[in-house]
Amino acid sequence: MISPITSISGKNNLAFRAKPEGESNEQINKEDELLDCGIVTKSKIAMDKFTKAFTIYPAKGLAGSKNSNFYEFLTMGTVPYIVGSVMLMSIFNSVNPSFLPFDKVAASRKLGNKMALGVLFYALFKEVSKLFITYPVKWKTGIDTELPYRKVNYLLKENESDDSTSIEYHKVGESVDFTRWDLLYAKPEDNKPLNYRYDKIAKKNGFGENLNDSDQEVKPIYKEVLIKSKLAKSISSFMWAATGVALAFQKPWENYFNVATLKFWKGREFAHSLKVFGQSFVDSAKSLYKGDPDAVTKIGKHSGKLVIGAAALTTVLGLLNTFHITKKPSNVTGQEMLNPNKESVVG
Amino acid sequence: MKTTNLIQSYVSSHPASQQYHSDKAVREFDVHKELSNRTFIKPLPSNGKLVRKSLLDLPSEFRKDVHYDWKAFKHAVKGDANDHELGRLNDVGMKLGGLAIAAYLFTRKQTPMTKVFEFIGLGTFFAAMDFWPKLFIQLPAKLIHGVNVRQEYEDSFGRKKMFYQDHQFIPWDLYSDDEINKIGDRLNVPKDIPNRREFIQEKMRKIALQNNTLWMLTAGVATPLMSALMCNALEKPMAAYLDQRTTKKANDLMTNFTQEISKFDFTENIKALDEILTANSGKAVTPEIVDAIHHNLSQGLDYMLSEGLRRDLDRMLLGDGKFRLTDSNIEGIQGALKSTFETVALSEDELARIIPNADSIKQALSAKSLLGGAYDDFSEHTKIIQDLLDNNVREFLRANPNHPAARKLNFLAKQLVHSAEHGADSPLVQSLKTTSANILDENIIKVLRTLANENNSFKAKTFILDKFAYMKAGQAPETSLANGWNEAESIIFKAMNFTPEEIKKARLDGEIASEVLRSKLESITADKTAYSKFVSEIERALSSIQGRVKSLDMTQDANTNLYKSRVISTYDGYGEVLRQLGFESFRENLVGFPGIAKTSSKEIAFDFVADRVKGVKSSFYRFLNLADMYYRISHSEDVTQLLKGYPREVKEELVELAKITLLEGHNSDFAVKFWQRRNPSPNMDDYSDIVVQGGKVINKYFGKHKEGEIVELANDNGFYQSVMKLMFGGEPHIDTRTRIQDSILSEFQNYRRQALEVFGGDKYFVKPSFLVDGKQVSTSSWSKFLLMGSSPNEMFFKRANQSFNSGKWFSLFGKLGAALAGVTLLAQFFFGRMKNPQKDQEVKA
Repeated sequence: MISPITSISGKNNLAFRAKPEGESNEQINKEDELLDCGIVTKSKIAMDKFTKAFTIYPAKGLAGSKNSNFYEFLTMGTVPYIVGSVMLMSIFNSVNPSFLPFDKVAASRKLGNKMALGVLFYALFKEVSKLFITYPVKWKTGIDTELPYRKVNYLLKENESDDSTSIEYHKVGESVDFTRWDLLYAKPEDNKPLNYRYDKIAKKNGFGENLNDSDQEVKPIYKEVLIKSKLAKSISSFMWAATGVALAFQKPWENYFNVATLKFWKGREFAHSLKVFGQSFVDSAKSLYKGDPDAVTKIGKHSGKLVIGAAALTTVLGLLNTFHITKKPSNVTGQEMLNPNKESVVG
Repeated sequence: MKTTNLIQSYVSSHPASQQYHSDKAVREFDVHKELSNRTFIKPLPSNGKLVRKSLLDLPSEFRKDVHYDWKAFKHAVKGDANDHELGRLNDVGMKLGGLAIAAYLFTRKQTPMTKVFEFIGLGTFFAAMDFWPKLFIQLPAKLIHGVNVRQEYEDSFGRKKMFYQDHQFIPWDLYSDDEINKIGDRLNVPKDIPNRREFIQEKMRKIALQNNTLWMLTAGVATPLMSALMCNALEKPMAAYLDQRTTKKANDLMTNFTQEISKFDFTENIKALDEILTANSGKAVTPEIVDAIHHNLSQGLDYMLSEGLRRDLDRMLLGDGKFRLTDSNIEGIQGALKSTFETVALSEDELARIIPNADSIKQALSAKSLLGGAYDDFSEHTKIIQDLLDNNVREFLRANPNHPAARKLNFLAKQLVHSAEHGADSPLVQSLKTTSANILDENIIKVLRTLANENNSFKAKTFILDKFAYMKAGQAPETSLANGWNEAESIIFKAMNFTPEEIKKARLDGEIASEVLRSKLESITADKTAYSKFVSEIERALSSIQGRVKSLDMTQDANTNLYKSRVISTYDGYGEVLRQLGFESFRENLVGFPGIAKTSSKEIAFDFVADRVKGVKSSFYRFLNLADMYYRISHSEDVTQLLKGYPREVKEELVELAKITLLEGHNSDFAVKFWQRRNPSPNMDDYSDIVVQGGKVINKYFGKHKEGEIVELANDNGFYQSVMKLMFGGEPHIDTRTRIQDSILSEFQNYRRQALEVFGGDKYFVKPSFLVDGKQVSTSSWSKFLLMGSSPNEMFFKRANQSFNSGKWFSLFGKLGAALAGVTLLAQFFFGRMKNPQKDQEVKA
């Protein structure tokens, strides 16, 4: 069985350590549990998923396990992503060393290295740009669209020695159709009001305090925010990824490629390489924005601005749309609804 | 009751209920009847179906998908989308991002091919993402197991999903028993086992899961690789298509010349000129006005034409160089005087006493009738002003004899009328020459407006002509001529059939490439049949070039060459307009003087294309000549007579020099009469013929001497002439001639004749007094350069490098792709293995 990551209550701190002899995991794995949304937990989840994507899940899949599921298939999506990135870099670089010096420089510095950097920046910009949506949405609405939870899967036995459970890491808002509302309620051991998480969101969005059923009022807007923020991320993150690639294709990076080294044990060279990386990043960003001075067409001159502008615009529009909540509960009070002075038909 | 209420509530309130009650619903289904049957409450019957689409359905499916995505987007914007819609939108985002990358890189690339490949790269990447699982996962699985592992289904809400997407939820009810049994038969599942359907389903599930896992494991390597290989495969057809498109586009420019010109809009330019002319109409012309007019008219003209125009404008607008004096000139005079005395410490009052006031200047000039007219000589004016100043200075010094600046004042007063620079106007004269006596009158304005209209028409025409010339013959990748070069080069080197080892060796260095090429040529030319085929291929290459550059042949008559006739009509037509308007310098730079001027813009329009074509053709005629000479030497035919009379040792030197010069020679080698270290004392007893075996000369003497025994023998006129004749003299070999069509043969012979004259001429040679056939040839280094073309060994060196690089890439990734495909296909045979259950004894019985 797979050890779980620390839950939000901090009780089941068993992550990434060997299971002590005789200790049973049955207790900790019996139910799904919210996790804290700190960077450490997220990193551990990412590492866990990454490791399993390359090891356990493919093994289960190739064996045709009865317990393989959609989560595992989706998690395995990391494999083509990582391998594909390496392959793409390799296609443009691996043969270059056997070229003659002039061709080698042309193939590597002018294209291959930029392509490799483009692959890295694509992934980096895509992931980082999602934070441009996640955090403003969290600050403005109080809804954490990335809130993780640990899911316990009860498995079918395929062999006698099989474990009975497996752990998966999902997000509460992963599905807008089947959002895990249940996890947002307080547990008895939390010693907090049942709806305290919903209360907070309700208060943040101006629904007032001490609501009788804040959960019912919050759920529609929670879902709306999830949908709209997902739309914003889906479009803007890829536009930022495109900006990353465009940035990687700027000329100033060639200065970095000339001194680039990953040999961190060679202190001075490595430090110099980092310094040049920083300078090249700044110069490339400027170059992307200002455009090619030799460009003959207007579009050629301003294409960098357009790419950056498109990414920024999709982010801003996505955020504005997310903030524009339309599914707020009606402000009509019970008294107003049942106005004794008005005629009404009860069907 | 509780359960029933929930279901009732779901059925009546769920937004999907509308969908559910559609026509697709099972007709006999009655929800109330079903719900009232409390003993048998079961899930609602599925309204989904398996998707069975063929390739023909692709367009309609695509349209439906786009429609679905658009609706999904609208739902998501309103916050009403579902998971499936959001998943689709993520894919849309990925494609938009991909398009943004391709569009950005498109703007950064220079040539049509590199531009279009940004989108092809993107397209092939997405195509590879789709094709790999279809061709290497789905198809083999279907063929081997009979199971479609990428089966799609449409759920009750019309959403398309993968059938085996979630192995914990597979909608098996969409498959009928018959279908499952048929697949079971294909999977060799025994017919008489208990729960056969479940067993078959499990087997199908297992095969699908294993294949989906294999897809995830292989897609990372396969997708970029397949995309790159697809791009490689598309390179040639795309290059051919773009070449055709470029050629057509260029030809259309000439055919639709008038329409193309009409697309230009010079309204802004005309408006700007009008503003200048209107604002200054009737005023005296100043250099600033001329600047403004010239700036307006010269936009888009080359430097040479712009200069000619400027000279004409200066002459016409500033006229005979006469100036008028105005009040501002008088102030200018005072200003010049003041600045002269700046270096002297004088108070404002003192300065006012020294510098003549405006009235006194006017009176003095007027008294001598030097104020109202037009003047080009201001010597009288300066004398008068100088006198006024001298008087003032004298009076000032008389009143202030001990003034510290007394001596300096006298000196500065003299300096005012002399310029520090020889021939230049003094500061005083400069202040007088500011207002031209010429007026921008209606006649001049009319001429300028006519010129502007004609000038703009000329600019439009030359823009089209230049565009045509560039697209056809520009020194850039992917022009028609560059494509022709690549095509011809490819034909020739393909015909030579180099081995990968030879390519690997040749790509290292130009000299090694030379050795490999020479050896290959010697072996081809030694074999008459091989040579015959080879010459045919060179002829094919030259024929391709000839066809391609036909529209650029400036030796053709203007009636048969559209570009030439358009150049003539454009330049000569505008030249005539300029002549009528009196812009002679402009005209001179435009069309020159017929017959003698070769430096006009018109000549450049001809020479640009003619030179480019000549350089390219020469390179390939040189290659043909190289093959021809090697052939003659290989078979000792048409060379014996030439070598007759030389000792064998000299014959060997001569042949070696000719061979190496044609193979590697540059302009400089001809300029120094082929630098070669030879034996100054050859063996004069041996006059035997050279011996050739397998195309190679078996040297008896050449290369056998020590370094110190050989020297450069300068001024050996006879030797030089013989080498030239061996390379370019006489007729090509009959076996060469019979293999080439007449038009190419005639050009080839002409090339050889020119080469003999131009390279053999002595006028510009470092070592004078060398004559070829007693003739002196007048030529230039440029014409030699064009005739020389590219040296075959360098041509081969570059080609070998390209072949090696692309071969190396293809070898590595082609093998990797093949291995991956092999492993993926092979893996199918290990999938879906399950132990069959015990046969149903009862059934069997």
